Amino acid sequence: MNFDSRDRLWIYLSGTAILVITLWIYFVYFRPEWKDYQSDFRDVVAKRFGPDRAREIPSGIQQVWAKDLNRVDRCVTCHLSAEWKGLENAPEPFKSHPREILTKHPVSKYGCTICHGGQGYATDTATAHATTLEHWEEPLLGKELATSYSVSDRKALMQINCNICHRYDAQTPGADFINDAKQLVKQKGCRACHTINGRGGVIGPDLSYVGDKSTEQYDYSHLLGVKSVFAWHVAHLKNPKSMSPESVMPTFGFDSHQAQSLAMLVMSWKRSDLPITYIPGTALGDRPTPEEIAKEQQMQTGEGAFFAKKTCFICHDVSTLGIESATKIGPDLANAYADVQARFGRTLEDFLASPTGTMAMVLSTQIHLTDAEKQEAIAKLKIAYQKKLEQDAKAAQAKK
Amino acid sequence: MGAMRKTWQQLTWTWKPQGERESGDSIVRNLLLHWFPAKVNKESLSFRYSLWLGTISAVLFLILSVTGVILMFLYVPSIERAYPSVKDIEFTVSFGWFIRSLHRIAAHLMVAVVFLHAARVFLTGAYKNGTATQQNRPINWVVGVLLLLLTLLLSFTGYLLPWDQLAYWAITVGTNIARAAPLVGDRIRFLFLGGHEIGQSTLLRFYVLHCFFLPVFVAFLFAWHMWRVRKDGGLACVDRLRLTQKAEKVAPIKAKTYSLLGITRGRTVHVETSLVNEDLHTVDSSPNLTRRILLVMLATVAVSALLAVLVGAPLEEAANQRVTPNPAKAPWYFLWLQELVSDTTIRIGSFTINGALVGGVLLPGVLVLLLALWPFFDKSSVYAVGAWLTKERRRQDWVFLIVALFIVILTIVGTFMRGPYWNFYWPWEAWPEVPRRF
Repeated sequence: MNFDSRDRLWIYLSGTAILVITLWIYFVYFRPEWKDYQSDFRDVVAKRFGPDRAREIPSGIQQVWAKDLNRVDRCVTCHLSAEWKGLENAPEPFKSHPREILTKHPVSKYGCTICHGGQGYATDTATAHATTLEHWEEPLLGKELATSYSVSDRKALMQINCNICHRYDAQTPGADFINDAKQLVKQKGCRACHTINGRGGVIGPDLSYVGDKSTEQYDYSHLLGVKSVFAWHVAHLKNPKSMSPESVMPTFGFDSHQAQSLAMLVMSWKRSDLPITYIPGTALGDRPTPEEIAKEQQMQTGEGAFFAKKTCFICHDVSTLGIESATKIGPDLANAYADVQARFGRTLEDFLASPTGTMAMVLSTQIHLTDAEKQEAIAKLKIAYQKKLEQDAKAAQAKK
Repeated sequence: MGAMRKTWQQLTWTWKPQGERESGDSIVRNLLLHWFPAKVNKESLSFRYSLWLGTISAVLFLILSVTGVILMFLYVPSIERAYPSVKDIEFTVSFGWFIRSLHRIAAHLMVAVVFLHAARVFLTGAYKNGTATQQNRPINWVVGVLLLLLTLLLSFTGYLLPWDQLAYWAITVGTNIARAAPLVGDRIRFLFLGGHEIGQSTLLRFYVLHCFFLPVFVAFLFAWHMWRVRKDGGLACVDRLRLTQKAEKVAPIKAKTYSLLGITRGRTVHVETSLVNEDLHTVDSSPNLTRRILLVMLATVAVSALLAVLVGAPLEEAANQRVTPNPAKAPWYFLWLQELVSDTTIRIGSFTINGALVGGVLLPGVLVLLLALWPFFDKSSVYAVGAWLTKERRRQDWVFLIVALFIVILTIVGTFMRGPYWNFYWPWEAWPEVPRRF
């Protein structure tokens, strides 16, 4: 067949094309951007801290899953040194994160993007930072954006996100732009015309959740330069009638810093369904008292820690070792050494090996003790009993 | 050594059949290949005639099934988790971005190729019966139109699944047009959406339709479609041979022909027609047909994979029912409908013509009905079967091409020339800048 050889040619060409495409895809897979950052990081760490620490660095995509916030942040794939000490002057992305704020906002509980912005899902720089990305509205609130808007402090834009949680603070340490803006709101009497958080006037629109207003809902026809919500707010605050010709809002003569601060404040007023533990200043009624916390600490680290760890304390006191039960369902185990003999006619060792009654049920289903643990319990109960005897002796002496 | 050679022979004899008998066996005794005839007409194999568009659509459906099943392990059809699961497919699943991109490209290609296949069948008059007995090509045409509609529906149901702004609002547009159907419009929309709004019930039933019911219907209709092609004696171009050939008396064939498969009611075309000189006009299916099928499969996969790498699948912001994108557009294969709807919404004084009804339901409804029933209106002779743009069918070919061109033009206008507020922009006119938050 004379069309046979032409067919074969096309089969080989298509097969080669598929092979080339497969190799291309594999190349993309084997050399993603983050791999280079990770190997560079290993070099940096090897130089500064030695090869052993460098070997501990994980490879592959890393992520922080902030469960309560339902967020996954993969920034740590490249920004591996976020919680490291000693890399404060390393170049990005290897710079250590300022430590103080992490003590109050641990990475495992908050992730990264809730403060910094950006797209947590992404695993390459451009998509993760999302500063010019078309379909992601929360860019990295960092130096690049701050420079483009000429914000005097290049790290300030992030404070917008601080205020999503810290909204109800009068002043938040570290959020100076936001603090200035909140002062201005008081001083200039914004609430005379605007309702903010349930209080205020009705001449202007309710601003309580104005940060949720979508990009399409603003009128940019009078805005020069970059058409963005932030730019609109800054321009509007400097001269309201320039953005909304029919507005009756007066011109307050704000300078750039004040206008930017207020724009940041206003954009932070969003609805958020954060768990209450993330909102600062919420006074939960039944927090443990300092005495309760101290007692809990003592039970967990004191002499009777074993009985706290193995949950014996749920039913039993071990009074001479400092273990207090809230329920006192079972007897005080400080007496156990002698008491078991009296009640059941068996030694403590024997009883633990083959318990009867409630303890039979508890020790077979709820609390599992290995042989070593049983020995430890017996030893500790012996000590507890000794202490009880000493205590009783002292008490008897004192009576005399 | 001899044992190894024997094993090799047993595994590969179908690729290089020795003689006619083996060639026939390798088709007839093979599960996947047995729906082909053991000998196939040379004209059917040509690229010029059919462009192999039907095979290409089948290969694309295969690609979609394979990539689709892989995606089913990763995608979650819940309105809270759909979007994050697609993001995870894009960023953390190995080759996830490629599988998704390939799935999407194959879907768009399939809609286009199925349409082109329908156009080819129309323009070659291949929906008409030839001279053989018991042919029923018009039924096969109707089955084909149903397959086209199912392809569009499959693409439409799949479009919603990422649950981003593009998905949500495209389906809003599509289902709102459906609402305009008289009497049953609202009920159809309610059935589609599983409620009055696009929400969890919509996502779930679109998912079930997309992954199960529609593919099963397609598989069934596809089987019927193929079966009918065999019953009708192969591709329509085969019928022309009978017309152009001199009838010759042929000695009765003593040996059994391998083109006869099983016992059916009546006798197959090959026995009835005196298609003389099979040796002149047919070749063994193995290796000739199988080689070409391999070629078309590889070429389709290569083109789809290349496009998948070059053109990424879009993913916009998460669906937000409070924010409508401006403009909100239906998927590209329904953009001609959306354009028609906007063009037929005409205000005359205080009276507005319901464009959704006229342009969205009536006009396309009439067109689809005409398309499906056309073979029964076509009065041309058997001389117009199985050839491109015959003189006899010239007028209908022209009408078809004009309508097809019209649809293509409307699609182009809807895609490239409709901007915010559905305002008309010439290709050289800039659209207003898209604002951002920062």
